[in-house]
Amino acid sequence: MEIRAHMVSAGQAEGEAVVYNGPFAFLGDLNPVTGLICMPRHKLEGESLVNKVFVFTTGKGSSGCDFAAWAAKKNGKAPAAIICLESEPVLSGAVIATEIPTVDCPEVNVLELIKTGDYVKVHATEGIIELAGR
Amino acid sequence: MFLTNEEKRMLDGKFGQGIHRSMDLLVKLGESFDAERLVPVTYAHVSYDFCPKDFWDMFTEDVPRTPHRVTTHPSYSPEKWKEWGLSLAGNWEKEHEEKLRRYLDLGWLRTETCAEYLLGIFPRKGDIVPMAGSCMQVANNSLFGARVDRMGILVSLAAAVCGRTPMMGLVIPENRYAGHLVELEDLDVSDWTMAHYHCLGYYIGSQVPGFKPVAVKGLPPNLPFDFARALVISMPTSGAVTLAHIVGTTPEAPTLEAALGNNKPQQVIRVGKREMKETWERLNVWEDDTVEHVTFGCPHATIDEIGRIAALLEGKTLKTTMLIGASAPVETLARQQGWADVIEKAGGHFLPACPSIANPFTRADIAGDKQAKSAATNSARSAHYIASVCGVSVFFGTEEECVNAAITGKWKGEMPKWK
Repeated sequence: MEIRAHMVSAGQAEGEAVVYNGPFAFLGDLNPVTGLICMPRHKLEGESLVNKVFVFTTGKGSSGCDFAAWAAKKNGKAPAAIICLESEPVLSGAVIATEIPTVDCPEVNVLELIKTGDYVKVHATEGIIELAGR
Repeated sequence: MFLTNEEKRMLDGKFGQGIHRSMDLLVKLGESFDAERLVPVTYAHVSYDFCPKDFWDMFTEDVPRTPHRVTTHPSYSPEKWKEWGLSLAGNWEKEHEEKLRRYLDLGWLRTETCAEYLLGIFPRKGDIVPMAGSCMQVANNSLFGARVDRMGILVSLAAAVCGRTPMMGLVIPENRYAGHLVELEDLDVSDWTMAHYHCLGYYIGSQVPGFKPVAVKGLPPNLPFDFARALVISMPTSGAVTLAHIVGTTPEAPTLEAALGNNKPQQVIRVGKREMKETWERLNVWEDDTVEHVTFGCPHATIDEIGRIAALLEGKTLKTTMLIGASAPVETLARQQGWADVIEKAGGHFLPACPSIANPFTRADIAGDKQAKSAATNSARSAHYIASVCGVSVFFGTEEECVNAAITGKWKGEMPKWK
């Protein structure tokens, strides 16, 4: 199944989905050394985003999110690709600068359609999300 | 995106790789938001210490002195950290010095604060000032009417290098009207302190989906500066709000209608006693009441704040370490007034650092075995980042409760009696 979306950051990547119905900040939510969600009391606390396709609503938090994303990427602990409902400038700048393939504004609600654990391919440059199966 | 001939040459690498890379990032970001063009900046603001060294070197490569002013975010102080015996301080020295040298070579101004408006460097209404730091972005937008879009640390360096920023988001006047309205319900704010406004802002930020402007109504007109600032700067911590109009206080909100642009809000967020109580609880992340560190100055302290802390510390000795984040000129003023001496005599310290994300006392990679395992603060922003980035326990309460914790080493903070 293919879903059309809007390119934020070019490239292509694939992996298992981690779906979170809420906003995300690279700085504070993600430990750039381990790639695990580190925010106390976060619904995904302790879960790994390493090489995952991370699906969430939008970005939030400090303008330091892009340097945190840069650190995670350099440590090999960043998500493989990102799908969000609507990006915002800090998140977009972070994924463009660190070259994490990212799309937003998918034509259907991916938070309902994609389940954690699904295998997803993100063709960001073409603006296509491919659901490869469970 | 439309580019002028000069901008095309910048993008094509005619002025060197640093400008080329910066322009490429700005254009890609602008295009992803359908920006029509780039606009020249009034001035720009970067963070060299928060910028990864490889990124900093790549984006400043061959860049000459810029014709526009560039200022800087709170900095690291490895020399001071060493003096205070923080075990891993030495690891930070070389990179800090190299980046600082390059920063000064560029002719940029070493302000080192997230509250530049306290130094007399502040935007006038309508000025375009791309900047690092969500805290000063929202303050400059909301309290001074500058046109600042949400932007990351890396992108802000690109904007400073090029003297350009994409015409998008809050740079465009019609995007500045509030889409979300916050109404206070059944809350008496007459005895609120800065911590209460931090708590309110933190709740509002968590409730706004996305990054559209917010209007807050129901607060006393001409809210004191420290309170207005605490309210707006907490919003981009729990969320992505970058412009908050406080009706009757901020320049674009003389009336509710003006803040909303005569439109109906898409969403009304109501805040009452329950929301305040739950947020206050959420900001407290601790089990044992032992306090090892107390921090103030997120955002960088005003002279009034330092005066109040000094008054509470007169003749006292601290059991914990204490850091006050403040710019060097404000610290100088506090010294002139005798307040800095009172605080230092008690055992407190000043730094032009970010006391939240880069607090040397709570960061394991700076303090090493000297890392404080718990910290008290009256700033929601500090509470959020010290708990998450540093992974230590956090106590959130009023200025007075935090000072008491510093003196006794125990947390006696109480849930406010919401009236």
